[in-house]
Amino acid sequence: MIVKCAELLYSFFKIGLMGFGGGYSMLSMIITESEKFSITAQQFADLNALDMIVPGPIAINAATYVGYLYAGFWGALAATVGVSLPSIIIITLVMRFIEKYKENKFMNSFLSGVKPAAVGLIAAASLTIASGVLLQPGAQLATLFSDFFGTVSVFLVAVFAVTAVCNIKFNINPILLTLLAGAAGAIWYML
Amino acid sequence: MNKNKFKILWALFVIFFKAGTFTFAGGLAMLPVIEKDVVEKYKLMPKEDFMEYATLAQTLPGVIALNCACFVGRRAGGFLGMLVAGFGATFSAFALMIAATVLLQFVPQEGPVAGAFMGIRAASAALVLSAAFSLGRHNLKSRFAVVVMLAAFALVLFAKVSAPLVVLAAGAAGYVYQRIKSKGEVAK
Repeated sequence: MIVKCAELLYSFFKIGLMGFGGGYSMLSMIITESEKFSITAQQFADLNALDMIVPGPIAINAATYVGYLYAGFWGALAATVGVSLPSIIIITLVMRFIEKYKENKFMNSFLSGVKPAAVGLIAAASLTIASGVLLQPGAQLATLFSDFFGTVSVFLVAVFAVTAVCNIKFNINPILLTLLAGAAGAIWYML
Repeated sequence: MNKNKFKILWALFVIFFKAGTFTFAGGLAMLPVIEKDVVEKYKLMPKEDFMEYATLAQTLPGVIALNCACFVGRRAGGFLGMLVAGFGATFSAFALMIAATVLLQFVPQEGPVAGAFMGIRAASAALVLSAAFSLGRHNLKSRFAVVVMLAAFALVLFAKVSAPLVVLAAGAAGYVYQRIKSKGEVAK
């Protein structure tokens, strides 16, 4: 129990410390780091859906969720404290040297590399989730090439594609899209 | 503790608790709400100072809303103010997420509900991809940026490199690239 909480604290501290660029960038790091915490792609997809209905910062929601699933209430607390601690430490330091920090060339050039990397990480996170949730019930990704239609659900791929286009191209509200996808899934099941 | 200090701490808690409870879709959406309270309602600092903190909160690593709470709290109420504001900004997200996670375990995953969840999860993966697109629109304006993006994508997805390490390496690459670029300009 204590070991599990320490693992969560350490992992989420690292994520908070490297968490440039807001919630989704940290979410993508949590996904790639979370093999340790045995969270499945399905559970991450659920997390992203819950994020839309539960208020508050995405990274705090994600830390609470992963921590709770891995080690219960204290795990949730450890992960949340872990992702929050870097802010407290860094801002205490920055407040002391604020004038120097503002014209810091090092930081600006560092960020010029970090920002595009965050885009790549988030795209990778999306494919990691997709590779777990677009499969036929009970199928494994390993059979992708030998038995394509037995592995991948064409219906779910269509839901994925339509949702992506509707949100990226036509800017349709994500909560509405999620509800529609849920309704489509229920109807598809009953057919 | 004197009465005035207590009043400031209470104001800090209320501002950030409110922002953390009533804004959805992440920390960035909270900033305008916080600004109004900090600058106009409780008059904790001038607008220029708040804007400076809000900008820094976005460039520093960590949770943006929490960074902002730490800056404002520290400035208005010292170390204790920072803790109170930070607690206010994160408490709702923590408590409500625990409730949601517990409730989710009770949803029976069979029949049409299982079908609905499959649809929701597929949409959810698509919305993460959409987040990458909207961030990419602002951050992929040079050839260097595109190369870094593709490298980060491939490293975590195919080489299974740890994501915090990729971020650190991308920052180092950015630093080296800007140094070489500025040297090249001087040489011309």
